[in-house]
Amino acid sequence: MIRWLNTQPTWLIILTSFLLLLFSWQAVVFIGDYPLFILPGPIAVVEAFVGLLADGTLLVHSWQTLSEVLMGLFIGCLIALPLGYLLVKSPLAERLVSPYLIASQAIPVIAIAPLLTIWIQSTYWLRVLVAVLVVFFPILINIIAGLRSVPLELYDLMHALEATRGQIFRKLEIPAALPIILAGLKVGATLSVIGALVGEFVQNKSPGLGYLLIFSRQFYRTADVFVVLLTLGAMALSLYGFVTLLERRLLRWRVKR
Amino acid sequence: MKRFFFFLLVFLVTVTACSGAEPQVLQQIRLPMGFIADPQYAPFYVAVDKGYFAEEGIEIEFDYSFETDGVALVGANEVPFAVVSGEQVLLGRAQGLPLVYVFEWFQRFPIAVVSKVATGINSPADLAGRHVGLPGFFGASYVGYVGLLSANGIDEAEVNGEEIGFTQVESLTTDRVEAVVGYVNNEPLQLAALGEEVNVLYVADYIDMVANGIISNEETIAENPELVEGFVRALLRGLTDTLADPDEAYEISKKFVDGLDDSRKEVLMASLEMWRADTLGLSDPASWGTMQDVMLEMGFLAEPLPDLAVVYSNEFVEKAAR
Repeated sequence: MIRWLNTQPTWLIILTSFLLLLFSWQAVVFIGDYPLFILPGPIAVVEAFVGLLADGTLLVHSWQTLSEVLMGLFIGCLIALPLGYLLVKSPLAERLVSPYLIASQAIPVIAIAPLLTIWIQSTYWLRVLVAVLVVFFPILINIIAGLRSVPLELYDLMHALEATRGQIFRKLEIPAALPIILAGLKVGATLSVIGALVGEFVQNKSPGLGYLLIFSRQFYRTADVFVVLLTLGAMALSLYGFVTLLERRLLRWRVKR
Repeated sequence: MKRFFFFLLVFLVTVTACSGAEPQVLQQIRLPMGFIADPQYAPFYVAVDKGYFAEEGIEIEFDYSFETDGVALVGANEVPFAVVSGEQVLLGRAQGLPLVYVFEWFQRFPIAVVSKVATGINSPADLAGRHVGLPGFFGASYVGYVGLLSANGIDEAEVNGEEIGFTQVESLTTDRVEAVVGYVNNEPLQLAALGEEVNVLYVADYIDMVANGIISNEETIAENPELVEGFVRALLRGLTDTLADPDEAYEISKKFVDGLDDSRKEVLMASLEMWRADTLGLSDPASWGTMQDVMLEMGFLAEPLPDLAVVYSNEFVEKAAR
């Protein structure tokens, strides 16, 4: 059975698992006799999805959240890349900065939400900041790990060939570190969705999927809540898929296992 | 001698066996409160501490989760009671939740619009053109705010309402907005403690809507009306005692609220005036109608509920008060 499944195309596996999930979900609702406001079935969620799509609500809120996600991911990478390089190349910088970076990860954003609201008047940039805070650290860690994974012998080779620092960076460090960096970017891409959502919980204003989620909860429209959750999942999957495609393109020189 | 001790032993065993009462088995009830542990819950704490709930066979476990969670749990009959605001009942019923409001704890709607004295907002009419911060465009705060405007003939579009999250104190002190919407027993007190002179427009002075109270569900009421009556009776006694002796009630609250000192006594004192009534706990049908009208105007309800009379019940308060 497993051998047969392994021979099937990926899209068929995904479709089959999705249909099984839908069937199980509906079975749970039916057997448990759950009311709509506790656990809506897939049909109720599809109806809610069609309703939110038809009146434009879902698109407006999704676009807002997506823009925060992409901006947060972009700025997170923009900060993490040079900082990661600096921390690898300068032991002093690493000793100075690392403790604060690590400690900052333990601070729950919700706890400083009122302060952020006062310091940053812009709703959009506050949400982007929260997304950056969530995304930045895992990407930074992977950049450091990737750069440190470059074999020392290759540095010796580059020095033997009288390569400049710029050439070492472009022709050795980046290609060698890229697999690990892209793995971190995959994690960051999915976390950026959570980051933007947390930002929308902190600054709960329309539009945004986080706002729509809280608004739907307030009105006990649980089917709408599920639509938001599934939309967020689809967003994260799409970003993950995009980074995977990028990975295949940039690492096509790698020998496949 | 041996015979004496033998008969003494028989006597003691007999007395013990006949001493009767088995320990009372209390029904454990988780009660969602909708907010954090706070001295405003003094009537509940008094009722627990003085054994009023125990006398009704109830053991309360306070659950300080969100109000909406409490509504969903009661609607699903996972818990028999919750503390929620009146507009949640109408919102829930509109989605098919079989909720019934059985005890009106707050007789006055506890929402107010607060502004610095220097801003010159002395009446609802002064709100036109001003920037007012709200926690969000949902919940009791928003319903109270719109109710205030509606009762004074002010269109919501005439006022610049803005979502600021739960940062009312920070937003007003930094002049980010000119007024904020909050709870009578919270934001005005915090601002006064920071030395701010404030004007407070009480929603309840202009419109009568249903505020915080106890909800149950149709199934509990149908299958266990004695439980509902017992719960209401215990709470009524706790509320009566709190109104009669707030100092004692506050001292009792210290047993239930971690780290509570005398600095927050004003929260309880400010709450008392919102609880007082000729008959505690009774719902006014007119206030339910007013609340529905406001929520229809806001678009929170698409259409009037088929029968507003089934949304609340004064039956248990009337029985408990006898």
